Amino acid sequence: MSQSTYVPEEPLVKGNHTFASITSLIADIPEQPTPKWWYIAFGISNILLGVLLMSIGYLFWEGTGIWGITNPVGWGWAIINFVWWVGIGHAGTLISAILYLFRQGWRTAINRFAEAMTIFAVICALIFPGIHVGRIWLAYWMFPLPNGMQMWPNFNSPLLWDVFAVSTYFTVSLLFWFVGLVPDFATLRDRVKSKLAAKIYGFFALGWTGGNRQWQHYEKAYMLLAGLATPLVLSVHTIVSFDFAVSVIPGWHTTIFPPYFVAGAIFSGFAMVMTLMLIARKLYKLEDIMTLDHIEKVNMVILVTGNMVGFAYIMEFFIAWYSGVTYEKAAFINRAMGPYAWAYWTMFLCNVISPQFFWSKKMRRSITASFILSIVVNIGMWFERFVITVTSLAQDFLPSSWGYYSPTKWDMLTYLGTFGLFFTFFLLFLRFLPMVAIAEVKMVMPQADPHHTDAHKGDH
Amino acid sequence: MAQLFPEWSNRVPRMLLVGSVFFVTAVVFFFWHFGSHDYLEVGYAPKQPIDYSHRLHAGQLGIDCRYCHASVENSAVASIPSTQTCMNCHAQIKVDSPKLALLHESWETGAPIEWVKVHDLPQYSHFNHSAHVNVGVGCESCHGRIDRMEVVMQAAPMSMGWCLDCHNNPGPNLRPVDQVTTMGWVAPPNQFELAAEIIARKNIAPPVYCNACHY
Amino acid sequence: MSTTPNTYWRSLNELARNDEYRQLVEREFPENASELTDGYSRRNFLQIMGASIALAGFTACRKPMQKIVPYTRMPENVVHGNPLHYATAMPFMGSVTGLVVTTHEGRPTKVEGNELHPDSLGGTHILHQASTLDLYDPDRSRGIRQGDEARTADDFAAFCASTFTRDKRVAFLSEASSSQTLNRLKRQIAGRFAASTWVTYEPFGEENVLLGTAMAFGAKRRPIHHYDKAAVIASFGDDFLAAGPDSVRAAKQLAKSRKVMSTEDGMNRLYVVESNYTLTGTNADHRIRVKESEIAQALFALAAALGADGFGGHTNAFTGNGDIARLAADLRGANGAALVTAGADQPPAVHAAVAAVNAALSAVGATVTYAALPFADAADQNAAFRALTADLAAGRYDALVMLGTNPVFTATGDVDFKAALSAVPAVVHLASHIDETSAALPSNGWHVPRAHYLEMWGDGLSFTGAASVIQPMIQPLFGAWSEIEVLSTILTGSRTGGHDLVKQTWTGSDWNRILHDGLQAGTSFPAATVRLTGAAAIRAAAEALPTVSGLEVAFKADPKLIDGRTANNGWLQELPDTITKITWDNVALMSPTTAAGYGVEFPRASILRAPADEEPMVAVNVNGKTLELAIWVVPGHADNAITVYTGYGRTHAGRVGNGIGVDVNPARTSSSPLFASATATRIRRTYPIASTQDHHSMEGRPLIREASLSGYREKPDFAAKMVKVPGPIDEAGQPISLFDEQTFPDHEPQWGMTIDLNACTGCGVCTIACQAENNIPVIGKKEVKRGREMHWIRVDRYFSGDVNGNPQVVHQPIPCMNCELAPCEQVCPVAATTHSDDGLNQMTYNRCIGTRYCANNCPFKVRRFNFFNYPKTWLIEGNDPEVVQMAMNPDVTVRFRGVMEKCTYCVQRLNRAKIETKRATGDSRKPADGTVKTACQQACPSDAIYFGDISDTESVVTRTKRNERNYLLLEELNIRPRTSYLAKLRNPNDATA
Repeated sequence: MSQSTYVPEEPLVKGNHTFASITSLIADIPEQPTPKWWYIAFGISNILLGVLLMSIGYLFWEGTGIWGITNPVGWGWAIINFVWWVGIGHAGTLISAILYLFRQGWRTAINRFAEAMTIFAVICALIFPGIHVGRIWLAYWMFPLPNGMQMWPNFNSPLLWDVFAVSTYFTVSLLFWFVGLVPDFATLRDRVKSKLAAKIYGFFALGWTGGNRQWQHYEKAYMLLAGLATPLVLSVHTIVSFDFAVSVIPGWHTTIFPPYFVAGAIFSGFAMVMTLMLIARKLYKLEDIMTLDHIEKVNMVILVTGNMVGFAYIMEFFIAWYSGVTYEKAAFINRAMGPYAWAYWTMFLCNVISPQFFWSKKMRRSITASFILSIVVNIGMWFERFVITVTSLAQDFLPSSWGYYSPTKWDMLTYLGTFGLFFTFFLLFLRFLPMVAIAEVKMVMPQADPHHTDAHKGDH
Repeated sequence: MAQLFPEWSNRVPRMLLVGSVFFVTAVVFFFWHFGSHDYLEVGYAPKQPIDYSHRLHAGQLGIDCRYCHASVENSAVASIPSTQTCMNCHAQIKVDSPKLALLHESWETGAPIEWVKVHDLPQYSHFNHSAHVNVGVGCESCHGRIDRMEVVMQAAPMSMGWCLDCHNNPGPNLRPVDQVTTMGWVAPPNQFELAAEIIARKNIAPPVYCNACHY
Repeated sequence: MSTTPNTYWRSLNELARNDEYRQLVEREFPENASELTDGYSRRNFLQIMGASIALAGFTACRKPMQKIVPYTRMPENVVHGNPLHYATAMPFMGSVTGLVVTTHEGRPTKVEGNELHPDSLGGTHILHQASTLDLYDPDRSRGIRQGDEARTADDFAAFCASTFTRDKRVAFLSEASSSQTLNRLKRQIAGRFAASTWVTYEPFGEENVLLGTAMAFGAKRRPIHHYDKAAVIASFGDDFLAAGPDSVRAAKQLAKSRKVMSTEDGMNRLYVVESNYTLTGTNADHRIRVKESEIAQALFALAAALGADGFGGHTNAFTGNGDIARLAADLRGANGAALVTAGADQPPAVHAAVAAVNAALSAVGATVTYAALPFADAADQNAAFRALTADLAAGRYDALVMLGTNPVFTATGDVDFKAALSAVPAVVHLASHIDETSAALPSNGWHVPRAHYLEMWGDGLSFTGAASVIQPMIQPLFGAWSEIEVLSTILTGSRTGGHDLVKQTWTGSDWNRILHDGLQAGTSFPAATVRLTGAAAIRAAAEALPTVSGLEVAFKADPKLIDGRTANNGWLQELPDTITKITWDNVALMSPTTAAGYGVEFPRASILRAPADEEPMVAVNVNGKTLELAIWVVPGHADNAITVYTGYGRTHAGRVGNGIGVDVNPARTSSSPLFASATATRIRRTYPIASTQDHHSMEGRPLIREASLSGYREKPDFAAKMVKVPGPIDEAGQPISLFDEQTFPDHEPQWGMTIDLNACTGCGVCTIACQAENNIPVIGKKEVKRGREMHWIRVDRYFSGDVNGNPQVVHQPIPCMNCELAPCEQVCPVAATTHSDDGLNQMTYNRCIGTRYCANNCPFKVRRFNFFNYPKTWLIEGNDPEVVQMAMNPDVTVRFRGVMEKCTYCVQRLNRAKIETKRATGDSRKPADGTVKTACQQACPSDAIYFGDISDTESVVTRTKRNERNYLLLEELNIRPRTSYLAKLRNPNDATA
């Protein structure tokens, strides 16, 4: 029964944490002995990684014929997986860069491992453009290198833009991630017992002492990188979408693709963040840092982007009808009612219907619901890429060349293998690096606000 | 607390930065040079089953290229002479020279002589001798001073870029058609006009598109 | 008994150690050295072997050390690196067709039609084009064998000398042959032995036709049709456009009146009465769909309607049938310019009736003439074959000589030839492979490897009687023998070269001229005067013909494999059937209605379901045998009838043909080999079928634009008007484009192509010709099923109209369109596909890294990808890769795994022509119009493909592009294809409309 009209915002960090307790809460993780579940998980990931290497080896040996691709469907799971992983790779930099520019304090709880996820996802993605070509050993011809043939790549080709877009995105994301890590490296350096560990952390800490000028430079650099990364977040998937949009194939040849792809990417990226966040906070008891509020906020993003994607789906049909192009119409009728209808409706269910649950606050704050839906969404987003890539190619202009694509076990094993790669990296990250940006979390703690004590005066 | 790293380690990042730049450049130029035809191809002079001397036949005796490489004006290939061609002379000359044992054996048995290919374009590059010889590109322009070679050696890189250099600017390598087999032909001072005249008369527009050679 | 693969050398070094080779080089001159004068040595295979290895096109990897192997003795008129062309002729079912063969350093690599030859006029059919592959078939038998023992030529000569003595009773079984030399020897044989029989055995030959004419005219006569003189043509089950002795001439003549270039031009009208949809049926203006057994009845009804001799008052189920009545009226209305034909597999009575009908139409002498065949036996050869089998089994012969033919496989179920063989003391079988018959020989039986026509001397008459000499292009691989060599050895006991035998026959002729031209000028069958004498007999025979009331099965010769003789030819096995587009199999063909009876829905009711991977199967019980075949629905097939093809299910064809499909011969009977009543039941098993086109409908898209002749006359430019190209137009009158213009108007020539859909019959010879010209690999059923077929030019087939009734079929050859604004070029990241100055959409194999983006972005889906290293299995790892390599065109790179490929308008021919022109003229880069042809254009028997320089306003192709029927496929995409089409026309009888 207070007279005060001032209601302080929900603190982003729950529990009565001090700076010190936060530090130990996070920094202890790499210092404590490795838990048993980690070894098990790491073992499984390594087996899957082995599967990936094996299937790539066999691909080198036999040729792309081991996959299900054929005429007319020249791109199959390889490209689908590429787009899917790149999409997932979106959330990280979006959270750390764009939300940073928008001063979204809540990002600090999740940006670190979201960025890690981005980097590992992009690595998984980058495998595919390399291996899906027929003569892998010549893939380097896609780069403008001096050569005795006096030949340059074709700068008209979206595939080429892709190579540059994704690799730039990867480089900047990596840099951004690393800069953010520097102060925490220093923290670890100063805490760890073993001399070797201290040297390693120290090496990456770049002699960070936490001095005032260092902090100034750090903030400036971080701000600049954020500014640099922001357009990339939007550009990379825009350009990926050009791979399809620039072609003449009905179902690909669409101007709506860039925004539609970016929205979809953020959609799947946040879903993946959610999945990983829920696991991490459970395993490492980080409920105080990754609170229900965080979960709810992420779910809101999923709901919004989900609806944007849904809008795009419906818009495509409208345009197909409105354009009056026979082939365009047929392509979309085939999607919804053709031989691949099962894939289309799976996609629609997962991406458009399932997020609607998040209209209810109860759902948004329910761990279980969030976990299940986050996975459902990523399944749906994989199918979106399947529908776009395969159904458009399978039935294009001349009915005589219509075909049906079905994957082989090698398609599936390669896809499965990329999870091995992803989780191998991710587990190493969880084990040896601070999975939450210690320094940044501290900044958003009530204690960080010079006036928070006054705020306390406010009540009783 | 004690310093983890010695004082000099402060310079390491800068050194790395500069070093990597040099390293990358070095790698590029390494492949550029050692991967090039100039390095790999030029000077290839394999041992032949019969050590036939072009210096002697083409140089000192001055036999015209076309006496042996008969189809050079009418065909894609210049053709390696048949045993018969050699026997035209060597039925009388140096009949019992041990160097020619293989030749005579081939003539008697009919077993072909297996020469080693020196100028070996990949199968996907279709070079046509007649198309070049008949418009005034000299043998020498690609094969070098054959008349001075004891053992034939590859004189030009014969890389795609090397071909294109001439296809983009044929002038310098054109000569009167009756001079194509001349070795050591010296371009006259008015080579520019000469070339221009040949180009006009022969309607020369060397193709630089892929299908000209690759199909 | 199986071929021993490694009796043949594998490399040059081994070649030097090879005994066969030593023998040859130890001799001062190779065989027939006396012929060096006429350049025989060019065909001396062993010495050019080396050159060919050095030349065979190879893939993108460079070998450490390459050898060049020159000739030892330079053959005459060979310019190393330039191909030579020789005229010869290909024998097939008793007729030869004149061909011109391209040889590279002595390797025949490609056959073309001989423009001087009246039955080719430059055209070919699929069997001609595929024949080069047969020559280099590594499964061919490698030498003479007795039982399992290898024997030498001398052994065989000795055997002949000792066995074929005058006191012997000898039987001869041969394929139909018009070879003058063979028949000369045949006459010598007749008088030589105590008793000798000669039976000509052709499972799908023209014997029925000859018997029919014998019935009508009292003597065997071959009807020769003049389709170009006929305004109305009615075919009763006669697929005269499908590859056969006369199909090239037929296609040429039919096309003549179908090249409608202005509204004044007329067009003939073709009726086809048939059960299964055939190639000829698809070209019909009216198709009357009846069961195979009813075709005869329909014909007799027509005969009655036309008042043909002997059919007065004849009535049957078709009497008064509306279609037949209208047909009769139309035929009569053509007064004299009408023609009726019947399929050679129809019984003699039908052909007799056809003769009567043509007589009644006073077509004789106008649209049909009759020829007396010089070498036809008066006796019924079908009956003779049955009798011979019985006599052999009864041991009435001391020896049997089989010149070719494979009766153990091809004989009908009721004729047990295999058993008969075992009862003969001495058997000789001349065969290219150790086929079913050779495998069934008694342990002392002799197998002699048979020479391919490209490696033997011979001669023969064309279908219309033009006399040709067959000259070899290469010395026999594997020491093969020709028929005449075997015969003369039997007669003389020693081997005489085929050349000498033929020369003897042709003494006094202008030998060199004949060799050069490929035929003896001015020779042809004189038109025999015929008088219809057998009216009563015809009537009797006609009314005695059986009919089938219930379900019936028709046994037809496969259009590609015929009786199975070409089953080991990968090109033919992989060539999609013209109607079903099935490769590598035979199936049970039936109409949608019939199929519904076995629970097969067509088209699939629910499109939501993914297509089934395998086809349902049916067990057909016919003549006490059961055939288990996959069900395949053919809209337009007669109801309550099933059609099956022979020639499949071979066990000794070779590695390509063995076990492909089902052998249906056991279910046939010699009394009624064409059709039989049957029962069929759906079985649980399913079976995978590799078809290259699953979709039957054009989905209402303006792909093949068609009109009736009258419709065309009202609106000549109907085709171009069918599509409106959207968007603004630039000053050049073209729709504007975001991409750089890819045309070089200042550069000549500019290549372009036009395909006349009205002349195109859909026979598919363009596909095979392209495969032969461009070293396109054969990939096998499994890969085709995956949809990875490699053909650069395919023939699309669409059904239109009521699929459950009598739909029409249209064909459309689809090569690369060489778009000026090619979508494929924009998207290739490494610039492997670009545009050339002369307007070609180039594909640079050695630059391609295989992203497949270009293929995805091709609206016509004409690009083909090497998913695996397809050539490897047969060009590098196969046994005797050198043999198969010799079939390769050295001017075309063999593509490696992971590389995209596609039609390039035969750029190797264009470049050669341009260089030749430059050399000849000194300054021109532009070959004269018509001097350079693409492989598909040159092979096409109906000249449906025009190709040339479109920068030349007067070139043929430019003029066709100016024609009103001209239209561009998918023009609205603004990709500006260089290949355009002339719209299809049909000429329906308005009386039926």
